[in-house]
Amino acid sequence: MNKFLKKRLSIISFILIPIIFLWHPNWLGFLGIQPYWPLFWLLPWSMINGSINGIIFGLFLGLILDSVTLDSNFTQIPGLIFCGVWFGRIKPHSDFLVGHFRYGLICAFGSFLCGTSFFFQILFKNFSDINFLVVIPSVQNILAEVFLTGLFAPLICSQLLRLFKSFIGEKHGNKFLY
Amino acid sequence: MLDIRRISTNRWWHKKKTWRFLGIFFILIFLRISKGSLYKDFYFFISKPFWPGQFQKEVIINSIEKESLIKIDLLKKDNIRLREILSLQQSSNNDNISAAVISRKTGSWWRQIILNKGSKDGVEIGNTVVGPGGLLGRVQSTSFFTSSVRLLTSPESKVGVWVDRFQINGLLVGSGDDHPNLIIYSKDADIKVGDFVSSSPASTLLPSNIPIGIIKSIEEPFQTKKTAKVLLLAKPHAIDWVQILNSKI
Repeated sequence: MNKFLKKRLSIISFILIPIIFLWHPNWLGFLGIQPYWPLFWLLPWSMINGSINGIIFGLFLGLILDSVTLDSNFTQIPGLIFCGVWFGRIKPHSDFLVGHFRYGLICAFGSFLCGTSFFFQILFKNFSDINFLVVIPSVQNILAEVFLTGLFAPLICSQLLRLFKSFIGEKHGNKFLY
Repeated sequence: MLDIRRISTNRWWHKKKTWRFLGIFFILIFLRISKGSLYKDFYFFISKPFWPGQFQKEVIINSIEKESLIKIDLLKKDNIRLREILSLQQSSNNDNISAAVISRKTGSWWRQIILNKGSKDGVEIGNTVVGPGGLLGRVQSTSFFTSSVRLLTSPESKVGVWVDRFQINGLLVGSGDDHPNLIIYSKDADIKVGDFVSSSPASTLLPSNIPIGIIKSIEEPFQTKKTAKVLLLAKPHAIDWVQILNSKI
């Protein structure tokens, strides 16, 4: 059972993302806003498996998250695909502290990109409407999301990266561990 | 001959991995088209142990009292004004479905709640959802066990409303924050802070006279329209139980 769970850990954690996204735990939020959960999974996955896998799973995550939200006019796919490509080009840092700090910074910037892409879609749709009533809450959304994503990323990404690596290490005779 | 066979086994369609990826991709496309109904039903089962209890918080009790007072006042006025056609619009309580909120996104970009009643309980797309205090939103999609409600605060929400004191129709548009915007297409409309807003008797989407909120602030008139911020009476971030109105309008 333990071996089965370990082998399927990446898939199980992938399935859990929309569940956490729907769960929306308020005690983890700030100003009613949550961290951008998919990036916590996408960063370690893309770092290990590369940009192509990053694109594919960015698309998969986008599709699944779009399906559980009601806004049919806006999509999260472009931001997640871009992050998948970018994260795939990043290599782990040898220094423990710098590495953790980097996860926070990268995820915060990724969240900013995803938030901005979503915001531009809203602006584009409301372009004909002269009073941009959605601008101030949207900026607040982006900033709070960036802050929270950057705050939690070092904790979550480092653990997921370690778990994914240990599985790949076992699969390929530990050559990916070092 | 051997070479041809070797090359042919290297084609992409001979690789198991490609088919696996395509399989996952098509499953996700199906999920997207079905608006995540399978996922929401899965969430319905795993979130069952965490559903809210029977008791509401004190905050909500205050809202219920306010709602009742305003509703009685509105019904009295309606009785006089629309005595003849009122019976056509009345709906019995049997049409209402009580549901618990099993997922809520009241901040961020997506402003929606998911309820634990779906198409198997008779919930239909477009049904009105009210909570303690008044109107919350409308059902936007349903799965077998769940239904997703677009809140009034969502940027995609637009409903017709009625300002009772001035007897004028307006449009309530979600702005992505907790206070939707009331747009009245008349520069001379004498709306004031504290004016009560309810669902419009002229609305074809909502039953009439459901309490919505109170005008919180008024912005400077722009061209031919007047805009105001509305403080909602129903608080989606605190409500655990709601009513789905299944009545025909």
